[in-house]
Amino acid sequence: MTETTKIRSLDDPDIFVETPATIFDAVPPFPPRSEREAEFYHLRDGEMLINLGPQHPSTHGVLRVVVKIDGEKVVDLDPVLGYLHRGVEKICENGDWHHAISNCDPLEYVASMFSEAMPVLSAEKLLNLQVPRRAEYIRVLCWELNRIASHALFMGWLALDLGGLTPVLWSFIERDEIVEMLAALTGQRLLFNYLRIGGVNRDLNHDFLSRLGDWMSRAGNQIEQGTRLLNENEIFVRRTAGLGVLDRESALRLCMSGPPLRATGVPYDVRRAHPYSVYPELEFDIPTRTEGDSYARYLLHVDEIRESIKIIDQVLHEMPDGPVMAKIPRLIRIPPGRAFIAIESPRGQYACYAMSDGSDQPFRLRIHDPSFFNLQAVGALMPGNLIADTMAIMASLDPVMGGIDK
Amino acid sequence: MDTTELWIGAQDVTDVMRRLHDDEEFGFELLADICGVDTGSEMWVVYHLYSTLTPDWLRVVAAGLEREDPRVPSVTFLWKGAEWGEREAYDMFGIIFEGNRDLRRIYMPADYVSFPLRKDFLLADDAARSPGEGFRHMEQTHQPAENLRRPVLRNGKLGSGTQVAALGLLPDETEAPPS
Repeated sequence: MTETTKIRSLDDPDIFVETPATIFDAVPPFPPRSEREAEFYHLRDGEMLINLGPQHPSTHGVLRVVVKIDGEKVVDLDPVLGYLHRGVEKICENGDWHHAISNCDPLEYVASMFSEAMPVLSAEKLLNLQVPRRAEYIRVLCWELNRIASHALFMGWLALDLGGLTPVLWSFIERDEIVEMLAALTGQRLLFNYLRIGGVNRDLNHDFLSRLGDWMSRAGNQIEQGTRLLNENEIFVRRTAGLGVLDRESALRLCMSGPPLRATGVPYDVRRAHPYSVYPELEFDIPTRTEGDSYARYLLHVDEIRESIKIIDQVLHEMPDGPVMAKIPRLIRIPPGRAFIAIESPRGQYACYAMSDGSDQPFRLRIHDPSFFNLQAVGALMPGNLIADTMAIMASLDPVMGGIDK
Repeated sequence: MDTTELWIGAQDVTDVMRRLHDDEEFGFELLADICGVDTGSEMWVVYHLYSTLTPDWLRVVAAGLEREDPRVPSVTFLWKGAEWGEREAYDMFGIIFEGNRDLRRIYMPADYVSFPLRKDFLLADDAARSPGEGFRHMEQTHQPAENLRRPVLRNGKLGSGTQVAALGLLPDETEAPPS
């Protein structure tokens, strides 16, 4: 199936030469596979297609977006996914439950403490297993630390996509401290593989605690300084405020969750909406905003960092003693059944629907990644904007391609 | 079971979902998840809904879809965001969502022919065990009728049947499909 396209010769514009279409050309597979595809690839007068990606640095991974433009204005766009598809769900079905933990790690590689919790929490729910309280507190501690690291990275990248280099360096200082701290605890900087069915891999150690205490004494310091750089920066505000506006109804219709949804005024946070672990015992607020634009999403991330620091403070004060693993056999058979669990990741509701048939392997492990559903909103947000703003809007949705492409 | 479940047939999906979404008594405004499932004998589409009126999830299972031609109405008229979820279920299971305007593969390449998350899909490892065949096993056009006759394997679980097929104990897979 070799398709050819005709392009103008570079030597003589009057001559057309035939070239074979490559996968990087913005031509649709012929015939169009869906109504929408046929509509998208039909160009009206003055319109043209360009590819953003798959290796554009601002696409946060390998995402290709075919953009239909009219001059500088974006008319429509068609994200092309799958460049990072590894078939994690299929791999999980063919390994046992313990293997699924490390297989799910690289899904959300910016905050993998959340994605690796998916098989763990669903297996615990199927087993109806009580996790020791100390393990629950350690989990919450790790989740909130990881959330701060991820949000710090978000702020840096957003500014970087708008052309500001300084904030990303500052947020990397903050993130690196947390990541090194977690490395002292788990042995890994990014893909932790720390949670276990029934608890966590190992107890808190001295190295981790001393780093954590050191960091807590000036927690969020770099972030606060970074926000002073950005919050009232005229260039930053002009390029984010009023851009990429979503309203409450369309955000709900687009199945969004996390900061993009809360920035439209919906106080939906799984930690409060459907409490899990020890979150019901902790005091924290769910910040919301009503503007729904990129700037609101940015401010919401800053507020959430403050809330997370509050949570870490409480967790450290109330950390109980005791074991960190429940007494379960190593070779574990999960009773047959179906379970749905969800947790609040930095990008929204990370959910998992697990089915077990009584063997040691998951029968089906469906991972719901929030970035996958949030990224869909670009189709509603970008048309009408300038092409230079597309990347800023996309960065404000904070997609992580590892989770989107699974 | 961990949460409230509602088992319906494919023909009722539109009415049930519209009622759950629109009726103020229910108020399930948020579609928490949509996914396909292959049980080995039939297909399901599983929806998880969330309402501010209850802290519990509601699981709606559209069960009993035929494996040879799984069809279910789309819910994109209620949740635009279900579009990609349905595309993923189509890509992985071959479930046709009637009414979805953009039903094409989302992860796999456009010229890909099989549906990877089906239970009868051959993995590269298993395919490589079959002498001389290599990876081409994976990309054969899906032949449901043939696959349904395969035995159930692996600890009595509804397995993929891949090992037996690869060892040549079953009718040869590589035969040209009847045109």
